[in-house]
Amino acid sequence: MFRARPVAVAAALASLALAATACGTGGGQQTGGGPWKPDRPIEIIAPAATGGGWDTLARTSGRVLEEGGLVDEPVQVVNKPGGGGSIGWAYVAQTPDTPTRLFVTSPPISLVPLMGGSVYDHRDFTPIARLATEYMVYLVPEDSPIESWGDMVDRLEEDPRQVSIAGGSSPGSMDHVALAGAVEAAGIDPTSINYVPFDGGGEAMTQAVGGHVDAVVTGASEAAGLVESGDLRPLAVSGAERASTLPDTPTLQEEGVDFTYDIWRGVMGPPDMTDEQVAYYEGLFTDMTEEESWKQQTEALGWTDSYMDSEDFGEFLDRSSTDSAEILTTIGLIEDGEGR
Amino acid sequence: METLQQMGAGFGVAFTPENLLFVFIGVLAGTVIGILPGLGPMSAIALMIPIAFGMDPTTAIIMLAGVYYGAIFGGSTSSILLNAPGVAGTVATSFDGYPMARKGAAGKALAIAAIASFTGGTVGVVLLMLIAPVLSSFAVSFGPADYFALMVLGLTAVVTLGGRNITKGLIAAVVGVMVSLVGIDSQTATLRFTFGMPELYEGVKFLIVALGLFALAEVFSMLARRGAGGADGSMSSLRLNRRELGRIAGPTGRGSILGFFTGVLPGAGATVASFLSYSMEKRIAKDGDTFGSGNPKGVAAPEAGNNAAAVGSFVPMLTLGVPGSGTTAILLGALLVLGVTPGPMMLSERPEMFWGLVASMYVGNIVLLVLNLPLIPLFAKVLKTPRAVLIPLVVVFCVVGVYGLSFSVFDLWLLLGFGVVGYLMRQNGFPAAPMILGLILGSMMERSMRQALQISYGDWTTFVTSPYSAALLGLTVVVLVWPLVKRLRTGAKGPAADGGSSPDGAEKAEEDTATRP
Repeated sequence: MFRARPVAVAAALASLALAATACGTGGGQQTGGGPWKPDRPIEIIAPAATGGGWDTLARTSGRVLEEGGLVDEPVQVVNKPGGGGSIGWAYVAQTPDTPTRLFVTSPPISLVPLMGGSVYDHRDFTPIARLATEYMVYLVPEDSPIESWGDMVDRLEEDPRQVSIAGGSSPGSMDHVALAGAVEAAGIDPTSINYVPFDGGGEAMTQAVGGHVDAVVTGASEAAGLVESGDLRPLAVSGAERASTLPDTPTLQEEGVDFTYDIWRGVMGPPDMTDEQVAYYEGLFTDMTEEESWKQQTEALGWTDSYMDSEDFGEFLDRSSTDSAEILTTIGLIEDGEGR
Repeated sequence: METLQQMGAGFGVAFTPENLLFVFIGVLAGTVIGILPGLGPMSAIALMIPIAFGMDPTTAIIMLAGVYYGAIFGGSTSSILLNAPGVAGTVATSFDGYPMARKGAAGKALAIAAIASFTGGTVGVVLLMLIAPVLSSFAVSFGPADYFALMVLGLTAVVTLGGRNITKGLIAAVVGVMVSLVGIDSQTATLRFTFGMPELYEGVKFLIVALGLFALAEVFSMLARRGAGGADGSMSSLRLNRRELGRIAGPTGRGSILGFFTGVLPGAGATVASFLSYSMEKRIAKDGDTFGSGNPKGVAAPEAGNNAAAVGSFVPMLTLGVPGSGTTAILLGALLVLGVTPGPMMLSERPEMFWGLVASMYVGNIVLLVLNLPLIPLFAKVLKTPRAVLIPLVVVFCVVGVYGLSFSVFDLWLLLGFGVVGYLMRQNGFPAAPMILGLILGSMMERSMRQALQISYGDWTTFVTSPYSAALLGLTVVVLVWPLVKRLRTGAKGPAADGGSSPDGAEKAEEDTATRP
């Protein structure tokens, strides 16, 4: 996954220690009564409006949990849109005494706070489980003279102005970080890249198909249709393995670039959850990912299973957050050490 | 020929009893939800998605598409009757629809809206059927420079929407553009005008401004008038005579074509389409100066435009797998969960679904007309509701609509704020329409301009080297210069030319008497 660095490990250890103390202090009234079970409906917060990726994840989880009979209490999906997620995060962070209120999450939980868009980051919540992941893909229009990832790097080296690269979100967000990290690992100054942000991956790809930009970076499953039709040609995917939706596309590592980027998706809870509560949810979401309907749904959405339990997920979050901070610092979007 | 055959198969799919039933349910539910101010197609589809899960994917998309155009039509009903647009695409309808309703011609306005919507939707479906595969290349042919030029052309409508005092119109438009800049700047991720409030990071939602400036401001003026004025309780027949149908034929036809092609462009959508149609008709109509005071053409043009655009926005979704609007983005998400990947392969891999959907859109349009024409007298009775009941209801719907969108109390304060702003603007002769236009087009115009300059490394010639952009900017210049030329020419003919408005006035008076029962 991410390149491990001494800094990352230290940060992970520090935050583990913090998490341990938090877990120790928070569980006062709940301990002693056997395994914990929710005593009211489970709320899954989607910190975005209906129809987006978080909403899809929340609703799919809710449905699988209820239909599979995995929960005694109903599961309610609640949308808390606004602020790129920060409104929903603030809502959960301010109710530490409600262990039935979870939220679905993905890389913005570390990117948005790094960019100054939220006062809460992943360390303010209890990691529960990482569920699935997806990769980024770098594509060019079908008739582009760019032949491969290496060819694009050569052109960028020669003159970065030659290649304008579209993405579906603003600078400092997933698409930009995935691009900047990859070109940096390939030995190009990421600040020289001409990144053109559009409103969503769909718009960015449309602009590439129309030849208005030279390349585009977006989620692998989102691009599958236009790749299959031959409108866009994939150069590389950002995963450690090839994407199931794009089996013929090499990974960056196969192209000689030591960089991976995950669009991971997971579930987190409010701060100060007890060990019993975390254990309950870990079991619940493990069962969920084993349901047949979950597997069907995630396959249709182009997500790969990548389950991690609470502890691994927490460490992973610390690592990926440190990596993102480094990339953002290199691009010059944040000051050194800011946000950490 | 092949298309006809496939279309036949499509009708086979659409005419199965199950699918017919769900088209009907979808259209009905969409209309009812759309009528409530504040609830547009996005909310309507979001509400129906849980029902769609578990259905056969073809049936589900047929139903959700029915919800979509039902909601757009329902939105025009509340625009006309209450001046409370539930959908951005029907804001332009309220400019003439509400004045018509106040003059007692609510039934007629609703009938015009129904007929124009039906025509727009049908023209859209026919075009979709005939040229959808070719259209995908049109949808991708617009680059950032071209979008910028399109938005500039759209903004010239300020001149026609601005009313008597062009300066006040321009001020309102500038304020609208300023409001559109609030939030995270998409090009640099910088926060602008948010005053540290996370609630403003994603900008000011269009619907809040529209409901505040139109519906709440209207409520405030009604309160201030203490019952005087307001809607005329008398009701005209909804039947349109041949002459009236003849008058709206042109605007409806042009609105349909313009609307469809605007809708095909990802990101432009029904709202831009309705404004473009409205201002184009106002400009070319002989009685253009009566637009805004209840001209039937001003209802027909945007209604045809927004429904045709709603159909058009399916083109990028079905042929490219790219949502053309916020609403189709939600539809796309629903389809993915149902196991369908709309996109370039859909036409070859799932032809029954593609053609079934196209055919059911056609059926849905007929259902919409059949369902709504008989209901119009019922809808129009809303205006007979005693003021003491109607005003609180409008306020309730606005509040519910806004709160239902974000579950945020902050947005309710914004709604109230824009209501007060809207009231003050009215009291001081500032038109609200240019502000809405600036809000819709401003952010898109800015974003496209900066994207274009980013791609060209700051080279401004990019705006004239792209043929679309050059043509659209050329048209903008013509549109702005033409009235000056006309004025100079009439000025040369002498002051008598000033009487040019009297024939229009006479026609308007005639129309007023004709609408009495």
